[in-house]
Amino acid sequence: MKIKYLVLMLLCLLLSGIHGFAADTESIIKRVEDNLNGKTAFMKFTMKVKTKRSERTMKMDSYSIGKEKSFIKITYPKKDKGITFLKVDKSMWQYVPRIEKTIKIPASMMLQSWMGSDFTNDDLVRESSISEDYEQRIVAEDETEYEIELLPHEDAPVVWGRILMGVSKKYFLPTTVKYFDEDDVLVRILSYEDVKKVGQRFYPTHWVMDPKSEDKAGHQTIFDINEAVFDEKISDTYFTKRALKRYSK
Amino acid sequence: MFLKIAIKNIVVYKKRSIVTIVLTCFTTALLVFASAFWDGSHNKMIESAVEIYPGYLQITQKDFRKTPSYDNLIFDAQSVRNTLTGISGIDTFSERFESFVLFSSLEKAVGGMFTGIEPKKEERLSRLKKSLKKGEYLSPDDHAKLYIGSELAKRLKVDTGDVLSFVGTGADYSFAADNVTVKGIFQTGLFDFDARAAFVSKSYFDEIMAAQNYATHFIVLPDKPENAEELAAIISQKLGKEYQSLSWQKTMAGLVQGMKVDSIFGYITLGIIFIVIFFVIMIYTLLTVFARVREIGILRAVGTTPSQILRLLLLESALLGLVSVIAGGLIGGALAYYFELNPIVISGYEEQFKQYGLAASAMPAIFSLSTLVRDMIVMFVLTVLSTLYPILKVNGYRPIDAIRQ
Repeated sequence: MKIKYLVLMLLCLLLSGIHGFAADTESIIKRVEDNLNGKTAFMKFTMKVKTKRSERTMKMDSYSIGKEKSFIKITYPKKDKGITFLKVDKSMWQYVPRIEKTIKIPASMMLQSWMGSDFTNDDLVRESSISEDYEQRIVAEDETEYEIELLPHEDAPVVWGRILMGVSKKYFLPTTVKYFDEDDVLVRILSYEDVKKVGQRFYPTHWVMDPKSEDKAGHQTIFDINEAVFDEKISDTYFTKRALKRYSK
Repeated sequence: MFLKIAIKNIVVYKKRSIVTIVLTCFTTALLVFASAFWDGSHNKMIESAVEIYPGYLQITQKDFRKTPSYDNLIFDAQSVRNTLTGISGIDTFSERFESFVLFSSLEKAVGGMFTGIEPKKEERLSRLKKSLKKGEYLSPDDHAKLYIGSELAKRLKVDTGDVLSFVGTGADYSFAADNVTVKGIFQTGLFDFDARAAFVSKSYFDEIMAAQNYATHFIVLPDKPENAEELAAIISQKLGKEYQSLSWQKTMAGLVQGMKVDSIFGYITLGIIFIVIFFVIMIYTLLTVFARVREIGILRAVGTTPSQILRLLLLESALLGLVSVIAGGLIGGALAYYFELNPIVISGYEEQFKQYGLAASAMPAIFSLSTLVRDMIVMFVLTVLSTLYPILKVNGYRPIDAIRQ
């Protein structure tokens, strides 16, 4: 009899444990996404693209509402100044002043490099859908961090086979994100560093993308967030196709 | 003396002579024509596949074929140019820079290959100019003029004179975009190629894509295309380890393999036919020679030696063989020659051919005297060999037994 009770109790404990764990993971990811995106965000950042041969610096302004809409404008170098990008849900457009044309980025180009960096067009569009497209699970935990494994839903339109995300317990912000392909080969690591107080919240201000694939040996892309304002009202006019040309100047 | 007797015998034993001549003649003609057709069609396939765009010999940075990224470019095109100028056996060479961009017209945006070429030199290296369908081919100082594949033009819904844009990444990884005017539309017949390739003059490409003195490929046309492999080795040696120089046999290894397999299967099929035919010849020879056992016995009895008889019988079959091989060679050769001038059109298979990257559906035979002579010698030897067994067998009898037979 005693053993029966014991087993039952254990089972109950286990079940409640699993349940609690799952709920936990979901809320962790939710908090992370909220912290990273804010309700709205305006940012000025610098992007450094390092390759074997060269290093380029670009500066840009970004406006976003949640994770659905964003607008990016290149402000430096002069040659690329005025190039704008608009992302609304899962579509992306680009305006190039030199050719005076707005181009919708087709699906076939989604995995191409974004502005010569180690980010792809797809990153800009899909980075947002982690909470929708992936099954989440905490696989490890220590005093400062959770390690969360993200496995894509079967029908999810994603390019990764698996993602391992480190989440800081202190800030509920990602620390490192490891991306694996379908053969479970590590393709790249994105690190979020230098958490600083920005307005009311803490925010990582130094992002480093380290590609691990052979063709990208010696490459690195670094984002430095120079200025950020969260949760202030951003005009809806930024998130229309017309804005691409209008705010290009 | 022997010759006279041999000729007399050939004339007397008409049936055997005719059967041997007809069969051998037919087989020779078949072999000669089949070789000519295979060689011809394979040459044609290779030629069309190689000459449309890839070229007989490609030079790239050593890792480019494995990892075709901007980190593995030829960064000093000038030094490669200098080295190539000093190598003999090269007819022409030219550089290319291939990149991947997004083409965008008013109607649509499509990803495709955007390549800078040297229009004048390219004329001799590939069929790009010959594939012109509409408008004009590029000239070296063209600025922002595009030479575009017919299928790509169709997908973008552009025609000559229209303006379209491209957006891509320059050789220094910077952003590159411009508006270009369609100067010409080409159609090579290779669907895939026509659906993704577009070309501009290298001088313009270098400027807009920040690619001065850079290239992805050097394409070399050897003086003699058949020497491409040797030339590739020489170039490799001269350029050093930083570069890779490969002949079409390597760059198009799949196609070459396919041709070999095709030839092997062809020869196996022919081989089976030949075996059947030579058994027939052997049996006929056996029958006629045995019908002559008495005659041979008498010859022996009057003092002819076995070796003389062997010579006589061999001479007979050699004469028969010679006549039929020459006749067969003439017929096969004539067919080969005719189909070299008037290629066989395999109509209805154009689509399948295109899937294999072959733009030709007209397959010429190739008339080559050396192959003709080779095939004739092979057939002659086989004919004589097939009569050897009966001859030796009959010659083994003792005269007395032979006469009694």
